[in-house]
Amino acid sequence: MNGALLRHTWRLQRIRLAVVSAALATWGFLLPVIYARFGVQFGVLLDSGMLPEQFARFGGGDVFSLEGSIALGLIHPIAIILTSVFAVGFAASAVAGERQRGTLEVALSRPLSRQVFYVSLLGASLGFIAIAIAALLAGSVSGATFAGVAGELAFATLPLLWLNSVLLFGAFASIALAASVSFDRLPPAMGCTLGAVIVMYVLEVLGSLWPSAEHLQPYSLFHYLRAKAILTGSISLFDLAVLLGVIVAGMSWALVVFPRRDLAAPS
Amino acid sequence: MPAIETAGLTKYYGQRSGWPGFLQGRFRPSAPPVRALESLDIAVREGEVFGFLGPNGAGKSTTIRLLLGFLHPTSGQGRVLGLDMVRDSVAIRRRLGYLPSGIALYDTLTGEQLLDYLGALSGRPAARRAEWSERLELSPQTLKRLVRDYSRGMRQKVGIIQALQHDPELAILDEPTEGLDPLMQRAFYSILDTLKAEGRTVFFSSHVLSEVERVCDRVAIVRQGRLVALEEMAGLLARRKRNVQIRYDGPPPRLEAVAGVTNVRLGDGRLNCHVEGSMKPFLAALADASIVDLTVEPARLEEAFLELYHEAEPA
Repeated sequence: MNGALLRHTWRLQRIRLAVVSAALATWGFLLPVIYARFGVQFGVLLDSGMLPEQFARFGGGDVFSLEGSIALGLIHPIAIILTSVFAVGFAASAVAGERQRGTLEVALSRPLSRQVFYVSLLGASLGFIAIAIAALLAGSVSGATFAGVAGELAFATLPLLWLNSVLLFGAFASIALAASVSFDRLPPAMGCTLGAVIVMYVLEVLGSLWPSAEHLQPYSLFHYLRAKAILTGSISLFDLAVLLGVIVAGMSWALVVFPRRDLAAPS
Repeated sequence: MPAIETAGLTKYYGQRSGWPGFLQGRFRPSAPPVRALESLDIAVREGEVFGFLGPNGAGKSTTIRLLLGFLHPTSGQGRVLGLDMVRDSVAIRRRLGYLPSGIALYDTLTGEQLLDYLGALSGRPAARRAEWSERLELSPQTLKRLVRDYSRGMRQKVGIIQALQHDPELAILDEPTEGLDPLMQRAFYSILDTLKAEGRTVFFSSHVLSEVERVCDRVAIVRQGRLVALEEMAGLLARRKRNVQIRYDGPPPRLEAVAGVTNVRLGDGRLNCHVEGSMKPFLAALADASIVDLTVEPARLEEAFLELYHEAEPA
């Protein structure tokens, strides 16, 4: 990794990171409070049969337990959109955006190999995601404490949940960066990554709401975020391995393709 | 040892996307290869200012991007500062400074932050930033402003400084005076003079022929990806035709058969012609003529350039 490039990236992204982290922390704070305030009523409503049973397991989360509410916070579109600012937006534009603006050649005319350039940006992406997810979980812990339900939370499981979440969004970042090094312009890189994230989210939600579509869920990376299971003490190394495998696959693609590409003059 | 040396350097676009072979052309239509550079052989001596000339699309930027490792050659090879341009690309870039044509900068940084960042990426202290900034009249106050507020000329000055601030052994400058006013162009030429006096090598790409004539020791001219000429600037100019204008009284001088004289045109007491090589036969032919005025214009590179281009025009 290159320290100067990391510092430069941090400088350019720090305000965005602060805003996204604050928003995620606020979002994380709200869900335990909602659980504490309305969880019982939602439970009664579900038991009465007025709500379909599938709503209790939307994306692996719910509002009938603290673990479920934290899991829901992670898989909810609001959290995904906010985290995707870095996992998709930053990562997809990291190389293709610089290439399109013409600044890539200024940076690469320095003694910096393309491999180091890529690895530094992947490191920056993972760092931003790690901070954003930590803010979300910190918000959740604060919310649980504020609502007086922190006693229901197994704090020792939080680092693993953080790791699982970072690996999920890190996998998207790896896909985004792989797309970013493969194209000369930002729109195709962004389009490919956003398309992949949206399709996977649809597969996961569809599978969780419609039993006949359950077999589609393993094709979605969201399926390998087991927030509620982790918070209740169940660990699946396979899930972590799948996400790690996607990160490694994205890295491999980028490290093969990027150094071999011709970087013609920006048009 | 030449600072830059290429042998049979060839580049065809459209043959290499970097994608694995089984995916080539599957997601993007594969265009037929386009020749950008064909078998380029040049050797740039250490300590010289080397001009690289040609119109847009001639292959100048392609050559530079090959030397910097941005492009991979289709065939042929090149050495920069004694290092292989493909294998030792990072080591080469440690020792050179590069100004791209129409440089793009990070608009959200100040000039100073940008130079600090690019200096840090270079891994060498920006020992000459203050000197070049002063000569290009870029004050410390100006460098504290955001780059997005800079005029085109100021951006170009920052571009020149970022290329030279770490005192590179070799400077590769692509259209360096683009956007500079005449005063700043002069300041830039004086920087080149300083670099030359210090024994630095400058590879200078331009299509502004007057500035190439002003600063370069040797020039290479490329056309449609091929090297048309590689000559000493003095030699190129010396063997060019001079434009001569004569005003006379009485019968016109007879110059048609004089050695070195061509393109004789008569009209209204005036004679225009071109003189190539020694002036002696020409002056001897004028000895008996009634000359009122005689103007000999020095050969300009523009004419040499256009003539070479005309000669290289495919039949």
